[in-house]
Amino acid sequence: MPVWVDPEKCNGCNGSSQPPCLRMCPGDLIVKDHAENKAYLKYPEDCWDCLPCVKVCPEEAIEFHLSFQFGSKGARLIPHVPKKGNQITWEAIDLKGNKEVFTIRTKIMQVALDEKVEGGAEAIDFSI
Amino acid sequence: MERKIIHTDFLIIGGGTAGCMAAVEMKERYPQCSVTIMEKAHIDRSGCLAGGMNAINAYLNKGETPESFVRYVRADSCGLVREDLVKSMSELFEYGVKKVEKWGLPILCDDDGNYIPRGRWNIKINGESLKPILAKAARSAGAKVYNWVTVTNLLTKEARVVGAVGFSLRNGTFYVVQAKATLIATGGAAGIYRPNNTGDASHKTWYSPYNTGAGYAMGIRAGAEMTSYEMRYVAIRTKDAIAPTGTIALGAKAPLVNSDGERFMVTRYADLGGDGAPTPYRAHGPVQEIKEGRGPIYLDTRGLSAEKVRDLKSAYLDMYPSQVLYWLANDIDPAREPVEVQTTEPYVVGGHCQAGYWVDKDRRTTLKGLYAAGDVAGGAPFKFVSGCWAEGIIAARAMGSDIEKMAPAEVEAEQVDAEEERAFKPLKGHAKLRHGISAVDFEARLQKIMEEYAGGVSTHYEMNEKMLTIARDRLAKLPGEVGQLVASDLHHLMKVHEVIDRIDVAQVLVEHLLFRKETRWPTYQSRTDFPNRDDAHWLKFVNSIRDPLTGEIEMITRPYEQIVPGDRYQAK
Ligand SMILES: Cc1cc2nc3c(=O)[nH]c(=O)nc-3n(C[C@H](O)[C@H](O)[C@H](O)COP(=O)(O)OP(=O)(O)OC[C@H]3O[C@@H](n4cnc5c(N)ncnc54)[C@H](O)[C@@H]3O)c2cc1C
Ligand code: SF4
Ligand code: SF4
Repeated sequence: MPVWVDPEKCNGCNGSSQPPCLRMCPGDLIVKDHAENKAYLKYPEDCWDCLPCVKVCPEEAIEFHLSFQFGSKGARLIPHVPKKGNQITWEAIDLKGNKEVFTIRTKIMQVALDEKVEGGAEAIDFSI
Repeated sequence: MERKIIHTDFLIIGGGTAGCMAAVEMKERYPQCSVTIMEKAHIDRSGCLAGGMNAINAYLNKGETPESFVRYVRADSCGLVREDLVKSMSELFEYGVKKVEKWGLPILCDDDGNYIPRGRWNIKINGESLKPILAKAARSAGAKVYNWVTVTNLLTKEARVVGAVGFSLRNGTFYVVQAKATLIATGGAAGIYRPNNTGDASHKTWYSPYNTGAGYAMGIRAGAEMTSYEMRYVAIRTKDAIAPTGTIALGAKAPLVNSDGERFMVTRYADLGGDGAPTPYRAHGPVQEIKEGRGPIYLDTRGLSAEKVRDLKSAYLDMYPSQVLYWLANDIDPAREPVEVQTTEPYVVGGHCQAGYWVDKDRRTTLKGLYAAGDVAGGAPFKFVSGCWAEGIIAARAMGSDIEKMAPAEVEAEQVDAEEERAFKPLKGHAKLRHGISAVDFEARLQKIMEEYAGGVSTHYEMNEKMLTIARDRLAKLPGEVGQLVASDLHHLMKVHEVIDRIDVAQVLVEHLLFRKETRWPTYQSRTDFPNRDDAHWLKFVNSIRDPLTGEIEMITRPYEQIVPGDRYQAK
């Protein structure tokens, strides 16, 4: 599974119906389980490994995993996006645990915790 | 289903690179006009730029001119391009780039404040946030944005495009947008061919898997003239991760080598420019090496300093972070081990090749009221982000000046009803049709045909008349089966429309491949029955128009016009 939401860390963005991870995925792959108040990647085979979901989560609850067919588990790549300051820090940890840190310029744009959806007020349930 | 009707002056379908820039230009030049963007994802992180960018790949560095750019792109495209389009876009590179820098994009500069070139036409950026920057500019300029609206078709009245329809992925609202002028900017098409990777990595493609050719398909169905689909893009990318290689080849100056360590581009393609051979040959070279038993192919990064390797990793973190995790998870240090590369499944991308709408110099399509910019527009390869911005700007200016002459447009109620029916049928079918076909299964069928008979990876991208005729016959059955597609929710409804659109694109693509009886761009378009370039007969554009009523695809040709003098096969 390319990205994984840690249910221990995800707080559902405080009851948000449109949390940032779900909004920022360009493929509409993340959904929120409202009963559990947690987000999860619903369509792993459609993930592009592009990481907007990981970078935008205020709780750093989303982990990036390479599909196992590409390499061993254990290596880690973790972005940290500070609230202020135009930079992003990446922690890169190899299989032996060696760590390299990259701090790279960027332009931080604030992302609201929730966002109104245009159109009809209620989501329609198409299940049968 | 709730129906929402929107009236707007300008409609932009697809809020990506080109769409966002067009919106800003429209609002700046025509502030009194209303601008509406319909985007299937969220404009903050949608399309190709979702992960970020690390370079602007089309820019006139010191000493270059629009003419030198045309000469380069023409030679890189094996002598056939729309020179008028390539030239007009290059004239606006600087305008677009300076704008985005003003909005906050960090561009790497030397001590004197000049942009740092990366190769002949590229400059380095820290573009991790390029997409949110563009989105903010579009919103601040006053464009009204509808996120999560998958546009399914154009609306036409008396051969004029008068808007578009789509549905909300969030609540199923059916949107009817009535517009005086419409810009299509939905990007190119991935997923026509079987992807390199399988399983939970099947979307680990280079081109955005969410650009599925919708914009092409809408135009094809409405009878717009299309050009150059046969020039498919086969990219050379890092093995497995499918990350762009320009970062290594240009950024770290690493050459291509085969398994014997031979710089085969230099030895075997010297007459074409060696490592600087036209892009199709830089995919063709590796494919031939592998075919002839000298694979795998690598970018030779051995001997890079630790600092250079760090720079390389930083650059990937700005654009394609999974490449860095791939190295970590495989214990690869590019300074010790060369980076293995492979060629991708073919894409239909007007920004790297020239597949797309046939447009005039102002990016007007052949349908009145419809304009095209970015990867969806044809004739002008080597676009990249800056060319997409330029085209968005050109189209916006044309739309503004045309709109004054345009009578108000009205949509036809019957057409809207029929489109609503078409859009939601797979959902309704779900309840009734127990043996319906899922988008995933349908896509597998389409990709199998394209892979095996229309020049996929496993046939070394090669094809002949027989194979293509089989592809044509097998594809011809698919539209008849579209009625059995079912969707269980709105996300799957989007996926159903994606596959419907891909079928329309694939059919046109195969007709183009059949029509061009020469090999102009090896590997992009390798005809084993016509293996050579044939300037005497084929120095022209292959175009198509699908009849909106009968569905018949008519093939036509358009002449090539040389604007910039010089040898068409020489970049200098
Ligand atoms: C991984 C990658 C790396 C690249 N790196 C670079 C680089 O470093 N430098 C560079 O100059 N170029 C780079 N490019 C090329 C460049 O990014 C693209 O050519 C350019 O972004 C295309 O712009 P566009 O507006 O045509 O498409 P996009 O920016 O992809 O926009 C298309 C938009 O249309 C939307 N859309 C699609 N279908 C529908 C529909 N049915 N309804 C509504 N909306 C829809 C999509 O969601 C998307 O937002 C890269 C491309 C990729 C894929
Ligand atoms: S953004 Fe993070 S905390 Fe919020 S819902 Fe998504 S995963 Fe959970
Ligand atoms: S990595 Fe990209 S495609 Fe995958 S879930 Fe996150 S945002 Fe979506």
